[in-house]
Amino acid sequence: MRIARGLRALVFAAPFFIGMARAQDADPYLRDIETKYIFGITEGSGIGLEGEKEFSPEMFASFGKGGGSRYFGSETKLEYEFTPNQYVQFELGPLVSAHSIKDVAGLDNRNDVAFGGIFGEMRYQLLDRGPSPLAVTLSVEPVWRRIDETSGVHVTNFEFETKVNADFELVPNRLYIGSNLLYEPEMTKDPDHVGAGWAMESTGGVSGALSYRILPQVFLGGELWYLHHYDGAWFNNYTGSATYLGPTLYVQITPKIFMTAAWNTQIRGTEADDPTQRLNLTEFSRQRAKFKVAVEF
Amino acid sequence: MTKRNRLIAGALLAIAFTPLATAAQEHSLSISVKNHQFQPAQISAPANVPIVLTVKNLDPTPMEFESVSLRVEKVITGGGTGTVRLRPLSAGSYKFFDDFHQQTNGVLVVR
Repeated sequence: MRIARGLRALVFAAPFFIGMARAQDADPYLRDIETKYIFGITEGSGIGLEGEKEFSPEMFASFGKGGGSRYFGSETKLEYEFTPNQYVQFELGPLVSAHSIKDVAGLDNRNDVAFGGIFGEMRYQLLDRGPSPLAVTLSVEPVWRRIDETSGVHVTNFEFETKVNADFELVPNRLYIGSNLLYEPEMTKDPDHVGAGWAMESTGGVSGALSYRILPQVFLGGELWYLHHYDGAWFNNYTGSATYLGPTLYVQITPKIFMTAAWNTQIRGTEADDPTQRLNLTEFSRQRAKFKVAVEF
Repeated sequence: MTKRNRLIAGALLAIAFTPLATAAQEHSLSISVKNHQFQPAQISAPANVPIVLTVKNLDPTPMEFESVSLRVEKVITGGGTGTVRLRPLSAGSYKFFDDFHQQTNGVLVVR
């Protein structure tokens, strides 16, 4: 029901924004926009400009777990991003992991901040926005973690996030629609510290997002994510799903500084082991958020 | 490594590092900036060939040639000249500007 309401809101909002955008699309020098960060957690197809370098802290946080009085977990990328040519972009940097957990079933209580690991990312533009308003980029992101994202426990974890980022310019320089296709396999060595081997899991998902340029420097929008979680690296055994909906914001603060933020609320979830649950708070959190401030140089 | 394998490896390396188009296929363009205005403000180029754009900054202050749709940015010192190499482009209009002087705008029309 909530999903249907969310989808209806996005679908009904689109013609309204298109009409508004067409009415306002009078500025011939409205700057083109790099679409990568205008959709919140959903990433656009942008790969930056050749010669551009950027530093940014990017925090991804999760709030709320089943039955707990307090759950907060975050991973912050201290990200160095550069674009060596007009086709490919690279990112790399360390991760800072933070957890504040109290009385959550299956998790130890903790209040920790620690070096969480290292990540790298490569983005390659598969389809250029040219005569067609559609652009598509493939991104691959290997990650090594020493702190578990969810529990904050010391682990050895490897993840290989693969995404297709697509966006479509509905109204030039005004209104964009974006979508991601996600495949995220990961392996963790003996996650429960019981002398077991490597545990494999995978997450798959799809998102849809709208972003509207409400001011020359400000984009507002909304996004919807549908995620599935599996045991096994190749979607082997389904364990549950979650649907998130929430608003997004992008602000170009100066020509060289921008910020982006998104807040997602789980509006529907399922657990394979307990079909009576309305939300999945085992593999997913009740809320999640992204916040990033970037400085280009 | 046998001689044959060395030849194959050499050929593969040569293919990997050979630009997709040779210099003979490039289209050269030139534009100036004076009093923080592009001169001319509109330039044109053929579609689907690499473009070499020479930007002459005739002002005493530095400028940054930038374009999101062309996916390039380059700082050019006051009185200096910069060369910007562009990938083969589809037909269309591509805006560019000086990121240090936001009122300085131009457009490349690809036909």
